[in-house]
Amino acid sequence: MSAEPILSVRDLVVEFRTEHGVVRAVDRVSFDVFPNETVGLVGESGCGKTVTGLAILGLIPSPPGRIASGSIRLAGRELVGLPESELRQLRGRDMAMVFQEPMTALNPVFTVGNQMMDILRRYKGLSRSQARAAAIELLAKVGIPAPAQRIDEYPHQLSGGMRQRVVIAMALSCDPKLIVADEPTTALDVTTQAQVLEQIVRLQQEFRMAMVLVTHDLGVVAETCQRALVMYCGRVAEQADIGPLFAHPRHPYTAGLLRSLPRVGEAEKQDLAVIPGMVPDLLDLPAGCRFAERCPRRDARCDGELPDLDGDAASPARVACFHPL
Amino acid sequence: MSVAATRRQSLWSKAAWKLRRDRFGMLGLAVVLAHFVAAVGVWLGLWATGWGDVAGGKWDSVSSEHWFGTNLIGQDIFQRSIYSISTAFEIGLIVAVLSTLLGAVLGAMAGFFSGRATDEFVVWLMGVLDSIPFYLLVAAIAFALEGNPWSMHVAMISTFWITTARLVRGEVIKLKGLEFVEAAHAIGVPEYTIIFRHILPNTFHILLVQSTITFVAAIKSEVILSFLGLGVKDGMSWGLMISESTFEVLAGFFNNFLAASVLMFGLVMAFSIFSDALQDALDPRQVS
Amino acid sequence: MTPLLEVRNLKKHFPVRGGLLRRIVAQVRAVDGVSFTLEVGKTLGLVGESGCGKSTLGRAILQLQRPTSGEVLLQGTELTTLDRKRLHAMRRSMQIIFQDPYASLSPRRTVAQTIREPLEVHGIGTPAEREQRVEELLGVVGMRTAVLDRYPHEFSGGQRQRIGIARALALDPKLIVADEPVSALDVSVRAQVLNLIARLQREMGIAFLFISHDLSVVEHVSDQVGVMYLGRIVELAPARELYRQPRHPYTEALLSAVPVPDPTRKARRIVLGGDVPSPMNPPPGCPFHLRCPKVMDICRSVPPPVVEVGAGGASHQVACHLHA
Repeated sequence: MSAEPILSVRDLVVEFRTEHGVVRAVDRVSFDVFPNETVGLVGESGCGKTVTGLAILGLIPSPPGRIASGSIRLAGRELVGLPESELRQLRGRDMAMVFQEPMTALNPVFTVGNQMMDILRRYKGLSRSQARAAAIELLAKVGIPAPAQRIDEYPHQLSGGMRQRVVIAMALSCDPKLIVADEPTTALDVTTQAQVLEQIVRLQQEFRMAMVLVTHDLGVVAETCQRALVMYCGRVAEQADIGPLFAHPRHPYTAGLLRSLPRVGEAEKQDLAVIPGMVPDLLDLPAGCRFAERCPRRDARCDGELPDLDGDAASPARVACFHPL
Repeated sequence: MSVAATRRQSLWSKAAWKLRRDRFGMLGLAVVLAHFVAAVGVWLGLWATGWGDVAGGKWDSVSSEHWFGTNLIGQDIFQRSIYSISTAFEIGLIVAVLSTLLGAVLGAMAGFFSGRATDEFVVWLMGVLDSIPFYLLVAAIAFALEGNPWSMHVAMISTFWITTARLVRGEVIKLKGLEFVEAAHAIGVPEYTIIFRHILPNTFHILLVQSTITFVAAIKSEVILSFLGLGVKDGMSWGLMISESTFEVLAGFFNNFLAASVLMFGLVMAFSIFSDALQDALDPRQVS
Repeated sequence: MTPLLEVRNLKKHFPVRGGLLRRIVAQVRAVDGVSFTLEVGKTLGLVGESGCGKSTLGRAILQLQRPTSGEVLLQGTELTTLDRKRLHAMRRSMQIIFQDPYASLSPRRTVAQTIREPLEVHGIGTPAEREQRVEELLGVVGMRTAVLDRYPHEFSGGQRQRIGIARALALDPKLIVADEPVSALDVSVRAQVLNLIARLQREMGIAFLFISHDLSVVEHVSDQVGVMYLGRIVELAPARELYRQPRHPYTEALLSAVPVPDPTRKARRIVLGGDVPSPMNPPPGCPFHLRCPKVMDICRSVPPPVVEVGAGGASHQVACHLHA
């Protein structure tokens, strides 16, 4: 792992204005992503993982949302505060996003080839025929059979897995430094998911990209990421390399999540371990630790004080808990 | 809309919040309410009671006694134009409520039984009624009802329900595939109960917006129909005033024409703005 | 003892109309000859990928979609030929829980109205007794009675799912079809709802047909598991045996494809090529032969017979030429 991170997020705060008040969807999130590394952002709905991903690409819908404070650096360049026109340039060339639903990223009235060639010609200055050849090559790389024929098809003619591959090919088309993938396989079936995940891991190694993988699925994280951030209520609860994170989770929330998963091959018919209660309302957060009221290790300090991540940004493992496991 | 009224913190309150922030929409609503107050006053006999009395000379100009002057036979134009507001509201409300109800029921049945005979009949009926020119239909109905004062209402209702029915039908086709409808089937809820208890209440946002649009359309149509002599038979309306004014305008007397058209324009414009604001506020893509 | 539910060669085909005259141009064979039995108080899990017909199968059993052919016997009563009135009466014994907690509750009806409706429709109890029963049901699914007058949008996904379960329980059903009941829920809430379902089964003796694409969830809740592919059950076995010793190549691939939340266990993954064929024109022979890593000549032309491969009394059926 080289010393210089591709992506460096510091104390990121994203807020949304709603009719009931201001919601802080992301609260002082910091992390680095190094070249040739996949970092998972994992958590349940509403934990801020998707918003963090969108913020990196400057895609927070504004209004009602805004990056209230913090810094996002891509290869040393500050992205927060950049004008939209420059962000758009960067999004095409240096970073790309893969969404959960591939149909939203593809224009239904143009062929797959048209859309890919459009990007290649705009950002790489290729001629028509060069762009077509490059597009076919990319489609082959993401594992689409018979790419020379598929390139002239419309998105609706492709299956869900094929569409997501096309979206990935489009994201790769300008050799981005960073890819943010938001639940890229959630809409896919298990066997298709396995195909696409394998492809993503292979491509990431081949292109030596940095990747941020946003997902709710701890299984996907375990199989594709090197490091992960577990998020809860807009904050990072725990950050660690995959091995220790799954073997020895330190935050009670991470531990609870892992225990509540039914696993294939452990079929004892007994009740699953449960995290009691619900995720608190972002508009009505407790004063102290946000996990306190569901936490088995809670004490008075947890109710009054909000724990921050220990260590500094360079630490390999950090946890935001007064009583880590 | 009792269901809507009993909701506390709901989609409706969210919509109301959005509506209140829409300044033009609220201005429109204020103008509409001002007109409505005028209309209620007429119904209660508080003012404009002398709209038919001959109170002055021919074409008196504006004075403190006759604010808008008098017409050919010396009737007070101000009173007549205020009285016409109540006519407009009466027609607008009756037509809007009845055609929305008709459209809701027929549209919901067509949507729920889509592909079956009920649906094919309703769609056929909509096609047929839509293909008859509006004024021809009004004339035909007026003729058939032999000068009945309600013939104009009947004509409007029989065409205005169609748009509402089309919209409701589409929405119902979407809704009936949702799981809560399937759940009702699984419980064994009778089909018509499913339509009226589970599906129709979820089209209220469409019905509300459609009824305001129909209201405006009815007022505008009344003016044209009355002008053509197919509309209001006894009583007073802006259409009749404008019809009266045709030869007055030629003689250089504009009071009748201006009073009727400015008031009508104000009401129609305000209601349209309010209707747009309502639509924005209720748009489910933005509300939910 | 007669089984609670017996399904024999059930088929549900949807006609596809086309052309000017809206003639039937093709049939989607969503469910294409499914047979199984379900004992009182047991759970049969059905797994498969989207489009395999598992949801249609659940609805065809409940007669929410009338089957094209085949038989469904619930407590010995054949449902497919019942008239409306008798089917209505049978609905008390069979209910459904849905996937999407945001679509499964009538948005403009309160919790009380929603849970009370089945009681009203079937004329059970006096109004006062119904009120009491609704409160009791809320308690069963772990909710407070203070929520009675609230609307669905005021609840989280997990709470809505509990309300949906309470509605399904109102009629004291013997069978509940649970169609992806936890797929839309977050991990921590999912465990709560799964435990609730397990408890209901233990305490009330309800049999579940548990439909899911999530193999780990199905394994956790089921006594028996059926694997569906293109409208057919390709393997049917006791849960533990199916997961330990899958016999059908599709089951093997499916099991190996599940991402395991354990980074130390590197998957020996069988990655299938291609996509599921369209149920509109399924391939001849074995429906899986186009993607099967162990395909033989016979698979391309002859539909595989269902064979019994179970050892030691437990039934383990597989439809594959490898075992024929």
